[in-house]
Amino acid sequence: MNSAIEVNNLTKVYGSPGTGVLAVDHISFEVQQGEIFGFLGPNGAGKTTTQRMLTTLLEPTEGRIVVFGHDLTSDAYPVKRQMGLVPEESNIYTELTAWDNLMFTASLYRVPRAQRAERVQHWLEAFGLWEKRDVKAASFSKGMRRRLSIAMAIIHRPTLLFLDEPTPGLDAQSARVIRDLIRQLNSQGTTIFLTTHQIEEANLLCDRVAIINNGRIAAIDTPERLKATFRRVQSVEVALEPNGSAHGPALAALPGVTTATKMGDKQRLYTEDPSTLLLQITDYARANSLRIVSLNTLGPSLEDVFLEITGQQVGTVRHEEQEQKGGRRRMGGGQ
Amino acid sequence: MRERWMQRIGDELAQAWTVAVKDVRVYYMTAPMIMFGLLLPFFLFFSFSVKRDVAADVGMARLLALTTFFTASSAGPVIIPMERRTGAYDRLLAAPMSVVTLLGGKMLVGALFAIMVSLVPLLIGVLFLNVTVASVGFLLAGIVFASLAFSAFGLLFGSIPTGSATAVGSIMMPSTLVRWPLLFISGVFIPLAEMSPTMRAVAYLSPLTYAQDLMNHAVLRAGQINPWLDLAVLIASVILLLAPSVWMHQRSRQLGY
Repeated sequence: MNSAIEVNNLTKVYGSPGTGVLAVDHISFEVQQGEIFGFLGPNGAGKTTTQRMLTTLLEPTEGRIVVFGHDLTSDAYPVKRQMGLVPEESNIYTELTAWDNLMFTASLYRVPRAQRAERVQHWLEAFGLWEKRDVKAASFSKGMRRRLSIAMAIIHRPTLLFLDEPTPGLDAQSARVIRDLIRQLNSQGTTIFLTTHQIEEANLLCDRVAIINNGRIAAIDTPERLKATFRRVQSVEVALEPNGSAHGPALAALPGVTTATKMGDKQRLYTEDPSTLLLQITDYARANSLRIVSLNTLGPSLEDVFLEITGQQVGTVRHEEQEQKGGRRRMGGGQ
Repeated sequence: MRERWMQRIGDELAQAWTVAVKDVRVYYMTAPMIMFGLLLPFFLFFSFSVKRDVAADVGMARLLALTTFFTASSAGPVIIPMERRTGAYDRLLAAPMSVVTLLGGKMLVGALFAIMVSLVPLLIGVLFLNVTVASVGFLLAGIVFASLAFSAFGLLFGSIPTGSATAVGSIMMPSTLVRWPLLFISGVFIPLAEMSPTMRAVAYLSPLTYAQDLMNHAVLRAGQINPWLDLAVLIASVILLLAPSVWMHQRSRQLGY
């Protein structure tokens, strides 16, 4: 498989190199053609800065970006023709109708004149905006604006699509339409670069994810392999009666429990050894005459992995460094 | 290879036109903009002409220079920061076209607006005040190139790469501070002939001086500078004023604003 994006030693310093703010710190990664690549990270980690460099909106301080074999510094024009960009804010023209917004973008990207109206109609229908085609976008809901913004980014059939936080704040229906569209575009060969802090979305959509923290790539792998790497964030979820929540502190003190979190009427107990903990919980329930309403073992979610890597306190209390496996970078501590 | 470049040039010209048409529809065809474009030059003219016994032809020459200057340079400082704030500018910057094309489109629309607005004083002067135009060629060339130059002048302020560039107010301040003094040093209200040598030397630095002088040649058949030189300076000003905007856009890419 060929690379769609190759990033080498990419660095961005806002301000003077000596005294400025280091936003992206010598990161390197590849995105393969036809892949949905998730770029995850907490706020201020360097996600948007990286994406702005990849889309030519920002000049790197250092490093090299090659997209479809073209160096972005010296040969950006052919890349721009193949690229679509959906920024975090829906950047539509609210003074124009949905139809005019799309016709403007089609003209800007030099879609052949004879095909413009047909394509515009296709995407307006696909996004459920056809009935509103002659309405000014100022009266559109957030979801409608988002859909129009995405339609504007794909009207020229890009082979590489950048999406920055495409679904936050949307209703479930709009979010599903957008996720389905991402899958559909990808199945037609479009490479997707998805910047998000919605971990479940990345888990559902992405072939691979990179986790960026403090401007550095902390991990890159498939969601399942990342989860497998973090066996210690496995957990047991238990609901006890009567008065189950009163037993939280006692359950948290059971041997092998690293962290306990109250989840509604349940307790989630994180452990490296769920099978032993299951026995301890049943013993505890029997000894205290409690009824077990539900008892489940849970593997690490991508959210757990994300929080572990970015050093945020959910799921684990210990932050042991894990050695790289299979050539992967050291996790949790950056590069 | 040649065909590819011809195709590219054709695409870039079409994209500049696309940007211009979009700006007309989004920003210029609005009631406040039209009222501003039409009324401000008249207010300015009357405020400096009342009780000064200004002849109709002199007034029209002044008004043409004022109209092109104010209308062409007024939108540039506003539109780019506004589009940066909404994120719409990112779409334009990420599109497959050069910054020159993008700015060219924006310059074109500012100039077209100024040309249309300048027709109002021209028609009023010719039709109702019996003003005769001495040189139609210089008049049209003057209006067109002055409008382009002043539109590029307005874009200069919108292109300033400051951390607060997204705030329209922070751009309007330097724009106003530079544009208003130009009125007084460019021979619009105080003719070049009545200026001291020092003032005149300063006046020659302003492109508005050459626009006013060319209008004087075209309407009054009287100017202080060779009209061809006026025209040449206005044409050169288009490039000289657009170049820093291109550079500032490049600087914005480095700074991240």
